[in-house]
Amino acid sequence: MEELYRILRTGHVQTQGIVDTIADPMVVLDSSLCVQNASRSFFETFQVFRDETIGQRLTDLGNGQWNIPELQRLLGDVIPKSTAVINYEVTHDFPSIGRRTMLLTARTLFHPDGASHSLLLVFSDATDRMARDRAKDMLFGELRHRMKNLLGVVQSLARQTPIEGRTAEEYRDSLLGRLGALIDSEDLAFAEQGELGVEQLLERTFAPYASGGANTVIEPGPPVQLGPRTVMSLSLVLHELTTNAAKYGALSDPEGQVRVRWQVEDGKLHLHWAESGGPAVSAPTATGYGTQLIQSTVSYNLGGTVELDYPQGGFQAEIVVPLGTASQSE
Amino acid sequence: MPQTILIVEDEFLIAMDLQLRLEAHGWRVVGPAATIRDALELVEQEPPDVALLDVHLGDQLITPVAECLKARGIPFAVASAFDWPERVGGDVLAGVPNAGKPTSERRLLSALKQLTGE
Repeated sequence: MEELYRILRTGHVQTQGIVDTIADPMVVLDSSLCVQNASRSFFETFQVFRDETIGQRLTDLGNGQWNIPELQRLLGDVIPKSTAVINYEVTHDFPSIGRRTMLLTARTLFHPDGASHSLLLVFSDATDRMARDRAKDMLFGELRHRMKNLLGVVQSLARQTPIEGRTAEEYRDSLLGRLGALIDSEDLAFAEQGELGVEQLLERTFAPYASGGANTVIEPGPPVQLGPRTVMSLSLVLHELTTNAAKYGALSDPEGQVRVRWQVEDGKLHLHWAESGGPAVSAPTATGYGTQLIQSTVSYNLGGTVELDYPQGGFQAEIVVPLGTASQSE
Repeated sequence: MPQTILIVEDEFLIAMDLQLRLEAHGWRVVGPAATIRDALELVEQEPPDVALLDVHLGDQLITPVAECLKARGIPFAVASAFDWPERVGGDVLAGVPNAGKPTSERRLLSALKQLTGE
């Protein structure tokens, strides 16, 4: 008799050990839905005490916080017809822990005597995971949309980069230069917040030309945050300015210099581009595609203005962009 | 008289691409417009025969323009990356031809064909 008691006791201690080891909250209910046992994580998660839990009907627990219509339906209708229910979703406002979405897994245990059964009920809190999934879905949708937009831009650049009077190689290099500006802006758009500014964009644009010399000068200016679309537009504009400088302007001469400064005035970003020390300058007779790209991108995409000046000492540009659009996260 | 088409698209490069392609097919382009306000103004001043619309203009939706066109009986298509534009832009976009984005020549022409009924 004593030996039998010892075995039963060991069995009970083991069972309680198993129940407490399970990370998700778990309760064992008898056939009248009273709590026979509960895991440690059940008490911790729902902030209830063992004494006020064991022996109570589940629906009476914690001032009726378990009196959930969906749960009653699960216990009353679904469980009796099947031996197990897996990940049954229940969303409920719990007084202690707030609104949570729980996945319930239930299994009926038939006792060897055949006359009674108990019910194992495991709660898995899916609230945070589902919120993360939703955020991921949204991000994925945005990325997909942006990627398609980007491909549309690439398609347009490929079609519109001029071919007249140029070799295939010249066309290719000119197209690749523009795609490079898009790639840079994509890199920046995924950078940490605070790194998505005018200065970072200028540094990127000048990087291929900053071969140790002082050919490009970025004057320190106030920090300006840019949205991803604005970064793309400005990146293309700065690329065109830089390419022109390298072909015809100050960057085509080892003695030449490009100096850029910016400030914020009346909610507008003013970007000033000044070249000096290059070959003598004269205004172009016809507007090239690059110049058209600069003007239209600033006015159409950014709602700003651009002024291009061709004094003999060096080309100058003044770009003004409302920060309403430039600073939006878009 | 060439038929006129209003283009509403907030990305200049994409708008320009659509414009040049439509002009190559004999259309006269109204716009392009980058904002809801500009688009509504153009519909008022220079009512086009048909229209081709982007669904998202920055953080705005094209819905008011689509509703204005519908009220005036001007047929329109969208050029959208979304498979179901009505899910973002509302019922007024349900069943409207979609030229897609990026816009292929085949889908562009097929969307226009649906608009003109040719």
